[in-house]
Amino acid sequence: MSENVKVVENATCTFCGCVCDDMILTVDMDEKRITKSKNACILGKAWFAEHYIEEDAPVAMIDNRPVSMEEAVEEAARTLVNARFPITYGLSDTTCEAQRQAVAITDTIRGNIDTTTSVCHGPSGIALQGVGESTMTLGEVKNRADLVIYWGGNPAESHPRHFGRYAVTAKGMFTPRGKKDRHVVLVDVRRTPSAPAASQFIQVKPGKDFEVLWALRALVKNRRIDPDIEEETGVSLETMEELVERMKNCRYGVLFFGMGLTMTRGRHFNSGALLALATDLNEYTHFVAKPVRGHGNVTGADNVMSWQTGYPFGVNFSRGFPRFNPGEFTTVDLLAKRDVDAALIVATDPASNFPQAAIDHLANIPVVCLDTKATLTSKLAHVAFRTSTYGINTAGTVYRMDDVPITLRKAFDSPFPNDEEILTAIRKRVRELVLARGQARGATGVSRAAAPLQ
Amino acid sequence: MPLLLRQIAAPDVPMEADNITPDRLTGQGAADVERLALMHGSESRSIGDFFSATGSYDGIIDLQGDDLKRVKFIGAGMSRGTIRVEGDVGEHLGAGMGGGEILVNGNATDWVGPEMSGGRIEIHGNAGHLTGSAYRGASVGMTGGEIMVHGNVRNETGNAMRGGLIAIGGNSGDFTGVNMLSGSIFVLGELGIRTGAGMKRGSIISMKDAPLLPTFSYSCTYRPGYMTLYLLHLSRVFAIAEEYLQGSYKRYCGDSVELNRGEILLYAG
Ligand code: SF4
Repeated sequence: MSENVKVVENATCTFCGCVCDDMILTVDMDEKRITKSKNACILGKAWFAEHYIEEDAPVAMIDNRPVSMEEAVEEAARTLVNARFPITYGLSDTTCEAQRQAVAITDTIRGNIDTTTSVCHGPSGIALQGVGESTMTLGEVKNRADLVIYWGGNPAESHPRHFGRYAVTAKGMFTPRGKKDRHVVLVDVRRTPSAPAASQFIQVKPGKDFEVLWALRALVKNRRIDPDIEEETGVSLETMEELVERMKNCRYGVLFFGMGLTMTRGRHFNSGALLALATDLNEYTHFVAKPVRGHGNVTGADNVMSWQTGYPFGVNFSRGFPRFNPGEFTTVDLLAKRDVDAALIVATDPASNFPQAAIDHLANIPVVCLDTKATLTSKLAHVAFRTSTYGINTAGTVYRMDDVPITLRKAFDSPFPNDEEILTAIRKRVRELVLARGQARGATGVSRAAAPLQ
Repeated sequence: MPLLLRQIAAPDVPMEADNITPDRLTGQGAADVERLALMHGSESRSIGDFFSATGSYDGIIDLQGDDLKRVKFIGAGMSRGTIRVEGDVGEHLGAGMGGGEILVNGNATDWVGPEMSGGRIEIHGNAGHLTGSAYRGASVGMTGGEIMVHGNVRNETGNAMRGGLIAIGGNSGDFTGVNMLSGSIFVLGELGIRTGAGMKRGSIISMKDAPLLPTFSYSCTYRPGYMTLYLLHLSRVFAIAEEYLQGSYKRYCGDSVELNRGEILLYAG
């Protein structure tokens, strides 16, 4: 280790949706590596420790051949403008500033924009629209919640500091004794490493979450439920009744839910049932619900998309105005149906995690890809940009899972441009090309919503 | 003579052809029809780029082609006349239609007759998710008319339906009649799970036994008077076994988390 060391206080970890902003990073400025990350959990420590910059990697490539940034921007813009049904996808691991540029590009080219929300909590987005959301911030949970229920998630392994910082052992204004002042319930289909942290574990038969939630709703409304519910769901009527009493009588209850709920049979109805349960309980006490979001800034993606287009994901601009229709305008569906003729992929690697039919189509169309490292997607991309890492080499804004914006500090510089810079350059060029095409046709060509961005 | 639209070029990307309705084509000659616009992805093209038109509209449009799967919004908003389709069609068939008839000799996919208020859709093959449903974010789906599907349908058939009739010859997926407000859904084959979740009123009828949610309770087994009338109406389109006409039905009421005024009737023999 060299002598040239810098300490960055109050840095932010963007590895998971907790977005912990109390990191103290020690950076070896010669090696350009983070040698210590105080306060980070095991996942955060790995995120910082594994971060390195491949200095000699080309900043941009066309068909795997190194090119200048300008050349790549030009080719990317032309590729997107020439497409009739281009899609923009990813966006959950980048800053809100970059997300905003991606929306502007998609609007200008009349494309289709979608984020990784569509493959994690998209169903919750549909449910929110259908039944509404009784919401909060994690600070409120820390200070007030005396009943915390986790449903279909394993935060001990996916969001290790969720318990300590916000919801279980955290000590707050009205919960001075931390865990002693709370009752914590974990509901899942199997006992996970999160179970020991909970005061109570309720095991539901796989695929029966909806039935249990629905029965709880009925009990909250004083309806009768048949005792044979136990045979079907694995949860006895007695356990349900006891839980309902607890929920009705708590001071401040919270339901956190994960992908165990949203990605199993029933999907948006599962999230919807849970959100409706929280709403029902507000007849008796204060009750809130919140999805536990995965990627660092997936919540920001939802927020930016909603702010710019009116909808959180799965938005189409083909007709010049935004339309929302999950299932029709979500990326996996579009690729699997081979409906897409170009793609702009930002900070995600669909070629490694999408269904085969979708990957096959991705390999057949021109792809523009932005990523911090070489990925399967960047390898098959027509134009690939190498970017700097948000939260470590790039400042900006991200949203924590409870929709609280957090400002990032950068620890040290990267030789690569960030997503926002590249997307802004592409946006400018795309706009010029679309305007020129419009003038050739005697029309404006640019949808009005795209115009005000400078 | 009907107006014949024959597909001459396959779309590369999704196409939105909401001009293919009797309302837009009335009084137009074949050449005029070919000049009408449709959306091919984000670009505005004309019907003639993809279809050749012959004849003139006399109340019937014949649509034929090998690759109509990407053609969306056929018959959207129509109020009269008939569209006959040979081949598989794309999403939003007959979206919001108020009258007239669409006959598909092939399969349809998601969103058949969303939010329709009248008229008739008959599909000889299968349909996808959300047949006769509300669009996302809307609280009311189909309010009138009828949708008949000879094959199977997938999830959320009749989501938030408030009137009209949906009849499925084969099986349905999960959440049939979810959030239903009123109207009738017949599934001659098997129902998926979670039928009628959140329904306020309305009737869901199946000829097979089905698993029901814990919030539905058994009322009685009886012979509903209206069943014979409905089944006779359906027998013009589907083969209805004699015993269904004569049989009795188990009635379950629900959904108790809502008004509990909906009913699910399962054929009991
Ligand atoms: S909980 Fe999440 S955000 Fe916090 S340090 Fe761990 S990985 Fe990073």
